[in-house]
Amino acid sequence: MKKSFKITGEKRHRLEGLIFVSPFIIGTLIFFIFPLFVSIKLSFGKLKKMEGFVIEWLGLDNYIRAFILDTSFIPMFLQVIRKTIVQVPLIIVFSILLAMLINKNIKFKGLFRTIFFIPFLLGMGDVMNQLLGLGIDKHVFSFVESNLLPREFLVYLGPKVVEAVESFFGIIVVVLWSSGVQILLFLSGLQSIPVSLYESAKVDGATEWEMFWKITLPMISPIMLLTIVYTIIASFTDISNPILAYIQSNAFRSLRFEYAAAIGWVYFLFIILLVSLVFILLGNHIYTTSELKGGAKNERKDY
Amino acid sequence: MSEKIINNIKSKLVIKRTGNIKHNVFRGATYLLMLDMAFVFLFPFLYMVVTSIKSNKDLYDFTVNWVPRTIEFKNYILAYKALEYPRFFKNSFIMTTVTTIGHLLSCSFIGYGFARYNFSGKKILFSLVILSLIIPVQTIIVPQYIIFSNLKWLNTYLPMIVPTFFGYGLKGGLFIFIFRQFYLGLPTALEDAAKIDGCGFLRTYWNIVLPIAKSAFMVTVVLSIVWHWNDFYEPSIYINLPKLTMLPSRLNAIIAMVNTPPEEILAEVGHAEVESAINNAVLMAGTFLVTLPVLTSFAFLQKQFMQGIERTGIVE
Repeated sequence: MKKSFKITGEKRHRLEGLIFVSPFIIGTLIFFIFPLFVSIKLSFGKLKKMEGFVIEWLGLDNYIRAFILDTSFIPMFLQVIRKTIVQVPLIIVFSILLAMLINKNIKFKGLFRTIFFIPFLLGMGDVMNQLLGLGIDKHVFSFVESNLLPREFLVYLGPKVVEAVESFFGIIVVVLWSSGVQILLFLSGLQSIPVSLYESAKVDGATEWEMFWKITLPMISPIMLLTIVYTIIASFTDISNPILAYIQSNAFRSLRFEYAAAIGWVYFLFIILLVSLVFILLGNHIYTTSELKGGAKNERKDY
Repeated sequence: MSEKIINNIKSKLVIKRTGNIKHNVFRGATYLLMLDMAFVFLFPFLYMVVTSIKSNKDLYDFTVNWVPRTIEFKNYILAYKALEYPRFFKNSFIMTTVTTIGHLLSCSFIGYGFARYNFSGKKILFSLVILSLIIPVQTIIVPQYIIFSNLKWLNTYLPMIVPTFFGYGLKGGLFIFIFRQFYLGLPTALEDAAKIDGCGFLRTYWNIVLPIAKSAFMVTVVLSIVWHWNDFYEPSIYINLPKLTMLPSRLNAIIAMVNTPPEEILAEVGHAEVESAINNAVLMAGTFLVTLPVLTSFAFLQKQFMQGIERTGIVE
């Protein structure tokens, strides 16, 4: 007690702050920095002994193996990238649209919100896997098809078209099911836009279309960035991702820990690259809170 | 003069009426679209429920789509037995509850430090929060596995539970972020008043801040429960004793049963009927039973969760 009496207010403030984040500092050291460090070392070497992490330096061997010797890694990697490039924009567009729909002043708003969240509750884990195993994404399609598109019409266009339409619907359906969190994020973004902006725009004679591009989109641009990054990461750590299964089987079935670590790093560096690309491309179009509020606050720039 | 005014009002009325028609058409289209979307979103759930009560005959009858001819509750009994529900429910329940409590305690605490205090290295620490979100678990799973195996924590729930008390674990960084955003939007007046009255900083946090942080807690509770309940990756790595596995991964047991029915059920149902007794309907009954705890807890927390999403100001 005597000691703390001596320290000045500012020091005290700092100390209190450190006390609050101290669990995170401890956690970071044990569960993050240390594994990160070992994992880098592991990817450049060979594990000699589990206890004490005795690792022999091998240089780039594991990386060379990933890019040149391993014939299954690169095609798998490209497949994941392709899937992400198709899905992420679709998820973003659909979730903005749906969030705008449920943000409108309509009846049963709460009910719709809950419904849109149900696939998220079922999870993308084992449960959804069983459902997809029974081909429910195709079932949705066959339901839509039997009601909207006559089968004869599709058959007339040829099997390739049928296949294309089917896989298109399959993708859309999976996209919709995996956009629960994104819809909520956009919804919370939309609700933070002051109504007065729309009212004054209406007085000035702006159409809905103009208001979307000139008010809604700029106002939700920070959340857009957050959602895009979240979606990219979610898509890279999804259960259906073959790379993750590959890392797991290398590490825990073939016990090639070093190689698994190397693949993990290639994978992670690619994600970082993609995320920073998104930041660079969108960074200029983001309206920070400080700009919107006249430059007083500077919170947004932290991340 | 008066005629002019009347004409004026009349023309305005006409405009209003056509506007209404346009408005109504637009509104109708919106509802139609919403219903369509709702159908797509409800589909997995509806399909699961409907299939789970189908009898074997209905299952292979193409004319039976949404309304089964007979309701077969036997599916649920079979699924319940195959999952060994009480035992594995307990496993999943313990894991989910403890990890969620861990996230609530640690992330609200850490988030408060990030929101209210300035200290050297804060920016670096906060970028570590974001980095921990971006990095896939798979990159560091190998060293983590070795650490936990050296600690003799394999085949316990500790590798999943302990990190949550330090702001790590399943998407811990996101929860820190949510709490930080919430506290940033909170006026400091109450805390200042408490401090002037001589309330210590930890007591201020516990007695003043926590009770008003309810909406951030609700968001975290729901997300953490759902993610932990459905998580398959970390348990599948740290736990290989069958009796410790989580409930969702028990679904594979039903699939195995569909392929090779176990003796006890053979004895109960008889060889001839076993094939018709264990089928996809049982599998769907099983999936429904597995998701039931999440669905019920969401049903209870739904209102507060949605309000929380609006109030935490994740955007701000």
